[in-house]
Amino acid sequence: MRSSIDEFEEKEKPDGYYERTLKELSDMNQKFHIFSRMPQSMEHGFQFSVKDNICVDGVESSASAEILEGYVPPFDATAVERMRGRGFSFIGKTKMDEFGFGTFGINCAEHPLNPINPEYVTGGSSAGAAAATAVMKYHVAIAESTGGSISCPAAFCGVVGFTPTYGLVSRYGLIDYANSLDKIGIMARRSADIRHVFDVIKGSDRYDTTCIDREVNADKRTKLIIVDQLMQNIDQAVLSAFDRFTSKLESRGYEVVHRSIPFIEKAIPAYYIISTAEASTNLAKYTGFKYGKKTEDFSQGYNEFFTEARSSLGTEAKRRVILGTFVRSASVKSKYYEKALRLRRMLIEAMGNVLSEGFIISPTMPIMPPKVEEAAGLDPVKAYSMDSITVPPNLAGFPHISFPYDYSGDFPMGAQLITSHFNDYALMDFAGAWEEDFEYRFKYNVGSL
Amino acid sequence: MDDAAFDRMLRICRLRLSGSERDRIKADIDKVITYFDTIESVDCDGYSPAYQPVEMPARTREDRTDVFRESDRLLKNSKTYRFYMVGPKI
Repeated sequence: MRSSIDEFEEKEKPDGYYERTLKELSDMNQKFHIFSRMPQSMEHGFQFSVKDNICVDGVESSASAEILEGYVPPFDATAVERMRGRGFSFIGKTKMDEFGFGTFGINCAEHPLNPINPEYVTGGSSAGAAAATAVMKYHVAIAESTGGSISCPAAFCGVVGFTPTYGLVSRYGLIDYANSLDKIGIMARRSADIRHVFDVIKGSDRYDTTCIDREVNADKRTKLIIVDQLMQNIDQAVLSAFDRFTSKLESRGYEVVHRSIPFIEKAIPAYYIISTAEASTNLAKYTGFKYGKKTEDFSQGYNEFFTEARSSLGTEAKRRVILGTFVRSASVKSKYYEKALRLRRMLIEAMGNVLSEGFIISPTMPIMPPKVEEAAGLDPVKAYSMDSITVPPNLAGFPHISFPYDYSGDFPMGAQLITSHFNDYALMDFAGAWEEDFEYRFKYNVGSL
Repeated sequence: MDDAAFDRMLRICRLRLSGSERDRIKADIDKVITYFDTIESVDCDGYSPAYQPVEMPARTREDRTDVFRESDRLLKNSKTYRFYMVGPKI
């Protein structure tokens, strides 16, 4: 299927198109709280939104965190600069869980609501990015994933979400959560759009020494591998739909096989150990005078001043700072942090072996989108366990894509496909082929022509 | 984590929690640490720590000074005195 970017460029825009689109989008924003910031007027061209933890020159970028309120970066993140350089037009900053700390998109003020039904969560942490993609016809979202922040909301909002191999897209200008896990990625309505945008934003960057410039492959796999441990604790409705989906794929010539990675469920605690350890050091720079919200009383000593500044952190951020500081403590560092890093090495090897045979396929999430109050009532361990399927590829840096494969009532069901490092194009090819025969459904089409 | 250890952690983190918030977060932290303990059952002997998920060459930049042309705008994010950011006493 051709990209909607090409389709948009070819279509004539009627008089007042951009004004009308901006008005419709503003109405959607009133209803679903998608954007933290939107421009007063709309630049002409294909629109892209940017997650609120990615810097846009002159536009407040707070990662939806109160402590960063008012921070206005004087530069564009590399991904944003490259998008603008190729003629894409910036339409707004999308809301997210504070600093990316969340699975459901509800850890921020006036959180986004799922456009399919606002009583339900969008998924997180790239909550607004998924909602924007679900309502806007000609648009792509620049999003970011640390442990599943692209796949989860893409699945819950019924869009395509792509997380590249770690290091292929520069992180310069990203308000970091966990440096060894953060990846800037893309959400769109079609895989062809994702491929187009990926080609724009990937590639080495002098400002990010962890950004890799190397060939990206499109090695097709005909074997689809179900890792048995990833299929535990999945809702029956999701399992039944997924079985029907894999049967369809078999009828199209794919071979579906089962493999075992016995320790893969331990990827979640390992992920939370590493991510909180890195987050607790990253958040130490928000001291109350350099970025964002200001603590005014300079007569205080540094410790009191810093402690007062940090009172603006949300509950989940405080929890993660405490956990991260604890696991890095000298007395327990080898038990938690170093052990988690060793476990990551084991996981990279075990998943790498399986991926050399074929794609790993699974539902993206073990549940259908919950209602907002249900998600808010989960204790942290239960909430973290919802990332059981999205965490392994994120922890090991493998590229993955989530795309709709079925619907239950109005709600989409997302499948996650994982491949080897640097085989990113193969994911877009697979999802693109799926889209030839399966039409994604969208309730809203703001900006249609 | 006992109360004394938790309070010590709060001091290191420079976090001050109110009574009910402290009790709630401490209970959550205890549950999560118990969950973290489950990685003990995995035998990782022979595996070195993976600090990055993808092997990458250690790249360095040329050791030279660049002029950041937007420093005036950068300083607008903080209270300033001349071209210094104003901060608390150390």
